[in-house]
Amino acid sequence: MLEVRELSKKFGGKPALKGISFSVTRGEIHGLLGHNGAGKSTTVGIVLGMVAAGGGEVLIDGVSVQKDPRQALRKVGSIFEAPAFYDYLSGWQNLKILVGLSESFDSKEARAVVEKVGLTERIHSKVGTYSHGMRQRLALAQALLPEPEILLLDEPTDGLDPEGIKWFRDFILQLRKEKGMTVLFNSHLLSEVEQMCDQVSIIRAGELVYQGAVGELRDDRPGMRLQASPEPVFQKVVAEMGGQLMPGDRWVFPEDTRVPEVVARLVSAGAEVREVTPARRSLEDVYLEHSSLAK
Amino acid sequence: MMTFLRQLRGELKKLFSRKRTYIGYVVFLVFEAILLTLWVKIGRGQFQELAERNFIPVELLSSSLTASYWIMGFSMFLLGSIYFALVAGDIVAKETEDGNLRLVLARPVSRFRILLLKYCAVLIYTVTFVIFVGITGYAMAVLAMGSGGGLFVWNPELYILAVYPDTDEAFRRLLTGACFMGLSMCVVTSLGFFFSCLKIKPAAASVMALSVFFIDFVLQNIPFLANHKDMFITFRMANWVYTLKEQVPWEKVVESYAILTGLNISLFVVGWMIFQSRDFKT
Repeated sequence: MLEVRELSKKFGGKPALKGISFSVTRGEIHGLLGHNGAGKSTTVGIVLGMVAAGGGEVLIDGVSVQKDPRQALRKVGSIFEAPAFYDYLSGWQNLKILVGLSESFDSKEARAVVEKVGLTERIHSKVGTYSHGMRQRLALAQALLPEPEILLLDEPTDGLDPEGIKWFRDFILQLRKEKGMTVLFNSHLLSEVEQMCDQVSIIRAGELVYQGAVGELRDDRPGMRLQASPEPVFQKVVAEMGGQLMPGDRWVFPEDTRVPEVVARLVSAGAEVREVTPARRSLEDVYLEHSSLAK
Repeated sequence: MMTFLRQLRGELKKLFSRKRTYIGYVVFLVFEAILLTLWVKIGRGQFQELAERNFIPVELLSSSLTASYWIMGFSMFLLGSIYFALVAGDIVAKETEDGNLRLVLARPVSRFRILLLKYCAVLIYTVTFVIFVGITGYAMAVLAMGSGGGLFVWNPELYILAVYPDTDEAFRRLLTGACFMGLSMCVVTSLGFFFSCLKIKPAAASVMALSVFFIDFVLQNIPFLANHKDMFITFRMANWVYTLKEQVPWEKVVESYAILTGLNISLFVVGWMIFQSRDFKT
């Protein structure tokens, strides 16, 4: 459904993307994960034809965004972080104007979508009076008009409260279930991607450092930050217990290992334990692990 | 065509839904009232001697059409240029700054179409605004001086001194002049629009457009450039007054408006090319 081929881009001579490639199959929710400035939004910008690619190509259902952007974007709906509507117009007028740019506005279809996103009561109020959550619902409505086949979500949950984030996540998952919607979900939140996506591409400093199933990213082994001395004793004990030092000074042990057990073994071996902190795998760890694996 | 008209309606809806769009109307009404007062109290007295010397009926100076001519000329030059530069400077740059343009560009519509819609919207706005000023200026003059009467036109720079004692003829002439003036003011709008397509703030776009306009005007009035006046935009823009001459020099009018139209198209095309090459991201 979406194919990104060897995308590269420079801003002011500095490379922002260095030949990244990935593909999203029909009905898949694909996460695009990376820190701020990693190149995610540039990628989404190129996919939407808003940013000119320095090299490479994006195909949406076989149509090149670079060669025929109008045709390629016909099947795309998109949402951005903090969508900027015309505040002095009502939500309904915004929908009419935005949808009217590409299609004739179908009031019946629009009403159904507005109801679906839960904005019926306020749709005729000025957008300037909307909360961030309501704006995001309106953004969702405009992205779903007319019915797209692929949704591009560019950090859509940023700034939403936990309830709003959950609503948004459930809505997208429901869309996929009902309509087989393909979704490219751009985020810097590992937890969000884990909960929503089937596949993930991780970008770091403009490079694709990982692509695969989200499940493979999960690391359910007990992880902790450990400090003990003397060092030889500490190293001997953790090695005996199958401990593995991961990037970010995080020790992981085999799944059946319990934290008190590690501490007890260290103490009984005569080590002085100075710190034991449970440590979940962060996005940074994922980056570092995959960059070190790449090396 | 129907699609374009529907899209244009949307663009006009945006333009005319903003409160600040109407601030200009209010400001112009006040300015017209001031100009009318100045004309009645001071202006027409100063022209009395000129009229008598040229055997022109002095009562023409007290006609509502003559007052409208002065009001339109002055208000458009002094305030119209500023106002059109502000509106046109905003039309693209403001949406870029506010982020609205990202939502627009995400739709399957070409950048050329988006710009063409915006350009047409500001041109329509410009022409209708000039008509508004003409109508309200005339209405105010009728209220102050009564209806009827002819038209007295004097423009020393273009060597025009014309008198139309017949009200119908005078009205027709002034209406034609107003239409051409509207076309002239489209140049300021095009300048504002062009700068609005660049990667600059809306206010900067307006200031740049006004700078070009006023620098051109100043250069045009430098004595040693008097023989090269026809090279300047503001001189060509002022040629709308030729349509008020008794024998209209159509070849001059057509030449000037062909040049101004060419300039407008060039500004649009160059603005579009720059806009087309821009990257839009947060």
